[in-house]
Amino acid sequence: MATGQQSSDGLMKWGLVAPALLLLIGLNIFPLAYNIRLSFTKATLTQAPADHEAVGGRNYARIFKADESNRYAAALRTTARFVLMAVSIELLLGYLLALSLKPRFPGKSVVLLVFLIPMMLSPAVMALFWNLIYDEEFGVLNQALRFVGFASVPGWKTDTAVKFYTILMIDVWMWTPFMMLISMAALNAIPDYIYEAAEIDRARRWTVFRRITLPMSAPLLILAALLRTTDALKQFDYVMAITGPNDPATETLSTLMYQVMFRNFKVGLGSAYAIVVLVIVIAVATLFIRYLDRLREQEHAL
Amino acid sequence: MKHYVGTSLILALAVVFTGCGKKESAPRSERDPAPVEASVQGQADDDATVLTIWWAQWDPAVGLQELGDDYEKKTGIKVEVRQIPWGKYQEQVFLEFGNKQTSFDIVVGDSQWLGKGATEGLYVDLTQWLPTVTDIDKIHPQARKYLCEYPAGSGKFFAAPCETDAIGFAYRKDWFEAEKEREAFKAKYDRELAVPETWDEFVQVAEFFTRPDEQRYGCVLLTGRSYDALVMGFQQVMWSFGGSWGDADTHQVDGHVNSSASAEALDFFKSLLEYTPQGGGNIDYDRILESYKDTQSAAMLMTYFAFFPAIEGSDVGANSGYFAMPSKDGKRGVSLGGQGFSISAKTSPQQQAVAKKFIAWFLERETQEKWITKPGGFTAHTDVLASEAFRSATRYNAAFADSLDDMQDFWNVPQYNELLSIAMSHLGAALDDDTVTAKQALDRIAEEHTEVLQDAGLL
Amino acid sequence: MKHARWLVIAPYFLLTILPLAWIFLTSIKVQEDTNSRTVKFIPSLAKEIPDDSRRFTVSPDAYTRLEEKHTGVEYGFYRYLANSVIIGFISTLASVTLGTCCAYGFSRFKIPGARDWLFFILSTRFLPPLAVVMPILLMYRQFDLQNTHLGLIILYTSFNLSLSIWLMKGFIDEIPRAYEEAALVDGYSRWHAFVRIILPHARTGIAVTAVFCLISAWNEYGFAMTLNQQQAVTVPVYFAGLQGNISGIPWPQVAAGIIVFVAPVMVFTVLVRKHLLRGVTFGTVKQ
Repeated sequence: MATGQQSSDGLMKWGLVAPALLLLIGLNIFPLAYNIRLSFTKATLTQAPADHEAVGGRNYARIFKADESNRYAAALRTTARFVLMAVSIELLLGYLLALSLKPRFPGKSVVLLVFLIPMMLSPAVMALFWNLIYDEEFGVLNQALRFVGFASVPGWKTDTAVKFYTILMIDVWMWTPFMMLISMAALNAIPDYIYEAAEIDRARRWTVFRRITLPMSAPLLILAALLRTTDALKQFDYVMAITGPNDPATETLSTLMYQVMFRNFKVGLGSAYAIVVLVIVIAVATLFIRYLDRLREQEHAL
Repeated sequence: MKHYVGTSLILALAVVFTGCGKKESAPRSERDPAPVEASVQGQADDDATVLTIWWAQWDPAVGLQELGDDYEKKTGIKVEVRQIPWGKYQEQVFLEFGNKQTSFDIVVGDSQWLGKGATEGLYVDLTQWLPTVTDIDKIHPQARKYLCEYPAGSGKFFAAPCETDAIGFAYRKDWFEAEKEREAFKAKYDRELAVPETWDEFVQVAEFFTRPDEQRYGCVLLTGRSYDALVMGFQQVMWSFGGSWGDADTHQVDGHVNSSASAEALDFFKSLLEYTPQGGGNIDYDRILESYKDTQSAAMLMTYFAFFPAIEGSDVGANSGYFAMPSKDGKRGVSLGGQGFSISAKTSPQQQAVAKKFIAWFLERETQEKWITKPGGFTAHTDVLASEAFRSATRYNAAFADSLDDMQDFWNVPQYNELLSIAMSHLGAALDDDTVTAKQALDRIAEEHTEVLQDAGLL
Repeated sequence: MKHARWLVIAPYFLLTILPLAWIFLTSIKVQEDTNSRTVKFIPSLAKEIPDDSRRFTVSPDAYTRLEEKHTGVEYGFYRYLANSVIIGFISTLASVTLGTCCAYGFSRFKIPGARDWLFFILSTRFLPPLAVVMPILLMYRQFDLQNTHLGLIILYTSFNLSLSIWLMKGFIDEIPRAYEEAALVDGYSRWHAFVRIILPHARTGIAVTAVFCLISAWNEYGFAMTLNQQQAVTVPVYFAGLQGNISGIPWPQVAAGIIVFVAPVMVFTVLVRKHLLRGVTFGTVKQ
């Protein structure tokens, strides 16, 4: 009887987890593996898989070739800059908002809902709509700026120095709410009795924040930064819709890869590129996770 | 945590090897039975024959659909023209070519796609067939060379002429003809205000009409980056200044695209942006029309002739006139537009036969005469082109006919997209970034183009 | 000091709401009023308004004409909305079902290498889509899954699985084992215990997970664009495809479409608002 129960349990547990795991392997690991294989060929978009011709490490050699005309290196720099700025601005703003929203006040739920709307919108559709706002000739943004008295208004899509921020602003607008939500979760998770104890100690607000609030919310903030970093590394929709591919000022890893694979048809090269990006993502994620672990250990040690 | 990362990687690698083995054999065994046969059977059950044509979204495609409707009345074969917005047209077509079977029978493709279509077996070779249905010598030589042949001038056909196009200018006739303006212009430049014939005259006219406080500007030029607009706009200036993308026969690039003539042309092109409304340095086929159609905007608009029907139908249509590209020292460069019919090799032989019949009908003189009455229906048929009926059919046809002989095309090689991407990137930088000089941008183009062409074994 | 927080909230509120307000205003305009040298932002009921006025005539056209076929597009908006609904809801159902089962397995059974598996599941979340898009495209070509609803449903299901498994595991872990054990003693089979005891208790978790899966499937663009050009085109692909349209982008319809399209997501979000925090933190925060 006991053994019967156990063996049916064994069957059931695999029955429960296997479908999900198989699907994940089938649509993540298998394609990834195949992508590694593609990265050593000079496959093109229109070829049948059997015609893919192996070229060894040539694609990788091309990516790591150190010269001035290396678009990959430039795109990597742009993306890194984008991720760094977007994630830190969003994190800072989001945390600040979460702190400000902590006390109860009338209308709080409405304010919160409005704050959350941007992250519910479809990025691809919003990217299209931002074109209307950013239009240099007809757009509401430049007209408003002119109206308040700016003599020269920014060239949102034509000035190399501005374009990058055009894209960055959309990202901040759309994803600060996400950081705010996680920050709120982090703040909520701090038990009230700790604050009460601090009150008894008559600790100053700043000290409370520095000694209690910040360290205790840090692990979730790191998680938030990790989730946003890996997302921002994939930045594609806004760049495609606003400045288009081939714009050296805003070319990100994803738009360049798209250009290489789907417009230049060089699937092999694009795949090699994707693998390099993946390695970067893994490295960044590992760094974050290690840091997170260390924070958790410190927390436990306390 | 290190432990997890390690195991995941090992897991991933394990799957890599098993995965490779699997995938390698699967496609090969499935590939051998020709996909064509399967589709033949599929077609046989289907009695209503439908011919599907893909084209970009613009007026000529509407005209082609109307001709297709006539064809259906005559033969019972339904013709469906699907219009795809320009920005995505190329991607959609080539993603489709990656499938076992394309959902279109005919694609009206850019001349630059011929290289890819011909060398990768995507387009049906029409070399034997085309001369049997039409008189090859009656196809305008430029259109034949660039729109139909691959390699250009080889006599091998992969497309039949559909719509021949060129870039020209629309202008505000009402502004040009206003008495007040004429006097003011004469006082300032000591000549009559007229349609510019040279680039120097163009600058004067553009400068004259640029009055930001009245929200009037001199011109709007093709400078958009979503596909090829900037290259199309700039190269005409480059050609007329004596520069070029490279030697069409030897594929030599260095010394051509970065010659001093080319650099001078790029500086000149950039200087024209002073006369455009703000944002005029990055403006695409769709948006440029809106800028011009806005009744208060630009005096002159550069775009394809096939977009002019859209202007005729707008508020400013009645007040517009048209002229051909200005020249420099007697030299004129006009970007060839227009596209040819290519038959997909990834469709059934029956459908290919249906497609051929339709193209043959389209090329008949009678159909061509009907074609020129459609908006943007520009023919390549030399007799029809020369006819008075064509020149007077619309207000822009005469300027179009005058442009034809100076039409040039570029990069008819399978590596077209890479060359385009490089050129767009560096030309864009030269326009947007004042720290990048024309010479620097063109040097980079020369260097990178050389690399691509060398990789492809063309150089 | 107490009011200092408004110095943060008020400006950010303005920053958030202005573009949203612009979407709304655009949706009640007619096309000619959207692209104009004198920007129009004051809704008015007057019929005749001069060109250079800041006012514009309010028009419901964008909403009533949403289903109109725009030049260069095959169908009207609602056809694409239907695709989004079919793909979004079925894939959500599938990933929540699979995710719940899988989470239950990991929560209640000893599975060899469980921690490694769970980490593997989490790591799929970080995979850049472009690293798998080409093989998936080739695979789909092989199996003729391109241009099908099924193709996107499978894809979205798998992409949402990691979130769904992690969230559900958090919720199921919290349900005391004693509940099931009592049921097992009463003669329930494992499966019955799962269906009758666990699922009802995990209702909230399932709802939260479903909303998160729906949002990401609803708004996905990259794969939808690459894999579907003709059939099964979703709303984001439809709208993004209007860029470069020679007859101009129908801005009022786009704005109205954005509002209609975000409405279901907003309703669901409001319904599960109390549990939102848990969703964004991958279930790491207990409530």
